[in-house]
Amino acid sequence: MRDLTPWLRLILKRRGRLFIGALLILATLISGIALLAVSGWFITETALVGLLLAAGVKATIDLYVPGGAIRFFAVSRTVARYMERVYNHDTVLRLLTEIRTTLFRKLTGASRTGRSRLSGAQWLSRLTSDVDALDTLYLRLIAPAALALVVTGLVALLAWVLFDGTVAIAILLFGLLAFLIATAGVFFRTRDLAFRQSDQQEALRTAVVEHLEGFAELRAAGRLGRHGSWLLRQAHQMNVEQTRSETRVGWHQAASHLVLNLSAVFALWAGFHLHESAHLTGPVLVLLPIALLGLVEVYTMLPDAFGKLGGTLAAAARLNRDTTPANESGTDEAPLPSNGIAIEASGITVRHDDLPPLLTHFDLTVAEGQRLGIVGPSGSGKSSLADTLAGLLPPTQGRLASIPCAYLTQQTVLFEDTLRANLILGNPAASDAELWQVLELVSLGDRFAKEARQLDTWLGSTGSRLSGGEARRVALARVLLTPRSLVILDEPFTGVDSDTREQIIKRMDRWLAGKTVLSLAHGPDALPTTDRVMHLRY
Amino acid sequence: MTAPEQRTTRRWLTELADGNRRWIQGTVLFGTLAGVATIGQMVLLALIVYRGLIEKTPVSHLTYLFLALIGAMAVRALFQGLQTRMATHASAQVRRAVRRQIHQHWQAAGPIVTGQESAGALAREWIDHVESLHGYFARFLPQMSLSVIIPLMILALVFWLDWLAAIFLLLSAPLIPLFMALVGMGAEKLNQQHFETISRLSGQFLDKVRGLTTLQLFGQTEPAAEIIEHRSDRYRKVTMKTLKVAFLSSAVLEFFSSVAIAVIAIYIGFGLLGYIEFGPADELTLFNGLLILLLAPEFFQPLRTLSQHYHDRAAALGASAEILARFQQFEQEAGTPPRAVEAKTDTTGTIELQDVTFRYADASADLLRGLSLTIPRGQAIALTGPSGGGKSTLLHLLAGFLTPSSGSIQVFGREPGSFSFGWLGQRGFLVQGTWADNLRLTSPDASDVAIETALKRVGLGDLVNGRPEGIDSPISEDGRGLSGGQARRLSLARIFVADYDLILLDEPTAGLDADSEIFVLESLHKLSEAGKTLIFSTHHHALLSLADRILAVNQGEVSDA
Repeated sequence: MRDLTPWLRLILKRRGRLFIGALLILATLISGIALLAVSGWFITETALVGLLLAAGVKATIDLYVPGGAIRFFAVSRTVARYMERVYNHDTVLRLLTEIRTTLFRKLTGASRTGRSRLSGAQWLSRLTSDVDALDTLYLRLIAPAALALVVTGLVALLAWVLFDGTVAIAILLFGLLAFLIATAGVFFRTRDLAFRQSDQQEALRTAVVEHLEGFAELRAAGRLGRHGSWLLRQAHQMNVEQTRSETRVGWHQAASHLVLNLSAVFALWAGFHLHESAHLTGPVLVLLPIALLGLVEVYTMLPDAFGKLGGTLAAAARLNRDTTPANESGTDEAPLPSNGIAIEASGITVRHDDLPPLLTHFDLTVAEGQRLGIVGPSGSGKSSLADTLAGLLPPTQGRLASIPCAYLTQQTVLFEDTLRANLILGNPAASDAELWQVLELVSLGDRFAKEARQLDTWLGSTGSRLSGGEARRVALARVLLTPRSLVILDEPFTGVDSDTREQIIKRMDRWLAGKTVLSLAHGPDALPTTDRVMHLRY
Repeated sequence: MTAPEQRTTRRWLTELADGNRRWIQGTVLFGTLAGVATIGQMVLLALIVYRGLIEKTPVSHLTYLFLALIGAMAVRALFQGLQTRMATHASAQVRRAVRRQIHQHWQAAGPIVTGQESAGALAREWIDHVESLHGYFARFLPQMSLSVIIPLMILALVFWLDWLAAIFLLLSAPLIPLFMALVGMGAEKLNQQHFETISRLSGQFLDKVRGLTTLQLFGQTEPAAEIIEHRSDRYRKVTMKTLKVAFLSSAVLEFFSSVAIAVIAIYIGFGLLGYIEFGPADELTLFNGLLILLLAPEFFQPLRTLSQHYHDRAAALGASAEILARFQQFEQEAGTPPRAVEAKTDTTGTIELQDVTFRYADASADLLRGLSLTIPRGQAIALTGPSGGGKSTLLHLLAGFLTPSSGSIQVFGREPGSFSFGWLGQRGFLVQGTWADNLRLTSPDASDVAIETALKRVGLGDLVNGRPEGIDSPISEDGRGLSGGQARRLSLARIFVADYDLILLDEPTAGLDADSEIFVLESLHKLSEAGKTLIFSTHHHALLSLADRILAVNQGEVSDA
């Protein structure tokens, strides 16, 4: 439960909104119960008075108050329900914004090694479903559970006023029993199953991806059918566990309904005893059991929500783990090298976690204004070295000092946003003229001048689609815009054809005049102009 | 992928339901029985009140009625529980059937067609899309039937008790199908809008998280957080406008049910007082009056439940449309299924291609034209030529991954792909697990010694011995796998363990580091010496020199080079 605490605190920050939303739900529930209870009272009253009238006894009945109440509750149930849904949906969307921004800010401060350990796409899809689980925490879990208790308390209070204390306490106990069956009971009986669910699903996903990657090999070896059947069995196994958990939820729901129904039977039975000793009138006797039957609706949503609580807790635990603040202190501010030097590395070791080091005792000195190329085959640790020199991956040994740099990572990262927004990440102060200038440099000026919205062209899946080479050049342009005197470029020309590359290299030469440039590539022809080239061996 | 028509999607869902009819019918049956028990419960409740208050029967004489009431409630709970059990079981069966169907489509499409799609996307369809069908089969579909059956049962009973009250019920829900359509329209729009917003917000959020390192490099994380906040807020405002309208449809349902209850309560009350002098009102008693009132909410309850499950339908339709679109796409791309070829002369010792022509389903020209070729068992054949010239296609035909548009291929007297052989693609592949698991994937009976030897042969021996538990230690620790070259050598080790007669390799040395390249070359040399038939595409001169025969594949023609 502790894992939920930070998220609950976040949700409960909007106390006012949550309170009003809860009041609206309460109004809906009470209107529903009251509509039936008052109607029951009214019918019984009229039946009894009707009998007296038929027998010729003079009797009076007030038709206006109960008639008005019935009409009022019929309307208030509708209105409260509508307002509740609109208001609470708004709250959910607000919470969604808040949870996402908070999570994003937390991720910003989280340890990068923890984040990179998880494979990209898989981690992102899991993140999405984990955040979704938190979004509905209030509307599915907190509000219904709290209100079930409140309404049960109110009905018990009603019993105390209309019947007596003993009946009230008994009803309270019935209600609490139903509540425990629908909440804690479900939670404890499905927790482990729900906890395992998402891990199982991830394991299955990995297995399916592997199956598809090895499709040709498995097919050639004649093992495709068997491996496929194995996958089907795994998937069915997962569904069988899910079925088990949902069936448990179903039985708990049925049991909590039964307990509430039994409390109505009890109220009826106790009511007759009170009626026989003339402590209670007939109409009032009918009112309470009907109200108790109405309680069922309040409890309906609970078992399902609590059946998912185990999964929600697991989701919260994963999010907490992924957002653990970095404990490496001061990595952001690399020490500055001596004057006239841009990068000074002595005896550094580059390694990821506990894996064998990629580079050991690595020395490198780059003077300001120098253009150094580093060439090595894939797998030789080039990109990890670049990450280290750029300050993303701290060296595990040795001393590294460098001036602040602009870094083009091996992976092209563009955002689903406008071209302008993507470019000005490099330099928020850049003018339109500067943006066009740098686009010309990477030979994309004409490409975007033709677009209707020019710099505001939308990039990404919903907008203008860029080829791999074009995307690479946008990323390069963004780095070139950055006003830093050290530029590190990892495979700057991936997917760019050789003619375009030649042109860009020439223009980059002028643009980067006076700056220190460190570029890395798999071969010398993929490098911009350099003064000297180092070779990394595998 | 083009989306199939909604009618096709709905028909597919219906077929799935038909295939598992018994479980779904069981769900409806238990739902109906629970409904009957509910009616019984209300009858007993009204009867107890009537006996006690009007007939003044002492409560001690009502014990058997109380017991019957408790019994009805228990039976109702039992049937409710059984209904869930049936429902979840029905859904699990359907999901299993769908997964099997998807799997069959993958198999029919073969490795070339499936290989063109992202494995992640296909896995998502196989796992998540199929899971999206759950709510439809477990909740929505049975509830569709129940929302007709139960209200009709109640209506019949109320009609018998007091036809005027039944007419009130009927009037408030003039035609149940109309009502359902109304609910459906609102719910559909609502869900669509809601899901769209949520997925757009998630998309925006994920996009920024994906590029978090980049944002940090440029020191732009805070502005990005503000953008997320700002955009979310804008989406919220837009969505709320639509939702305010969409919620009205469920409010209408709520309104009618509330008004119906109110009207019935007042009608019964006035009837009992004797104020209503027409119709059946003078026959009203506390028993039938109270019973009608208790049944009124139960009349609307199934409809309200259905409207709550409406998003299950939308989710299932969306997922099915994508699954079916993929089926269509694969069927088109895979082209015609293989047809039987008459066995000619005895070809058990050779690979025979006769007049083979191949053209991709969407291509305008033949990739291979009238190709005839005989390759004796035990030879090493190198295929060379420009990229796109048909080398890989020829290998795929020999592997049986593709079928020729015309002509016949016999591999050692059999259909290509009808027996086990070794295949080494451009990407190696490994599964989560130990080294031994990975080799036993294709050779389940391989001994530990055979596995160790095979790994040694491809130069992975040192790497494995360096791990604490040797071949029983996991391949990838900390989620990091092998390099591309190492993965390909692992695949090669599988071929060593399995001892195939025929081995096909697509550019076995392309993009390899120097170390891996040496091991691959040596391995192929060993395999060739062991008398295996090797056919590989390559440009690598060392590999070309390993071949007994070099074939140039270019512009649909194959000739000795």
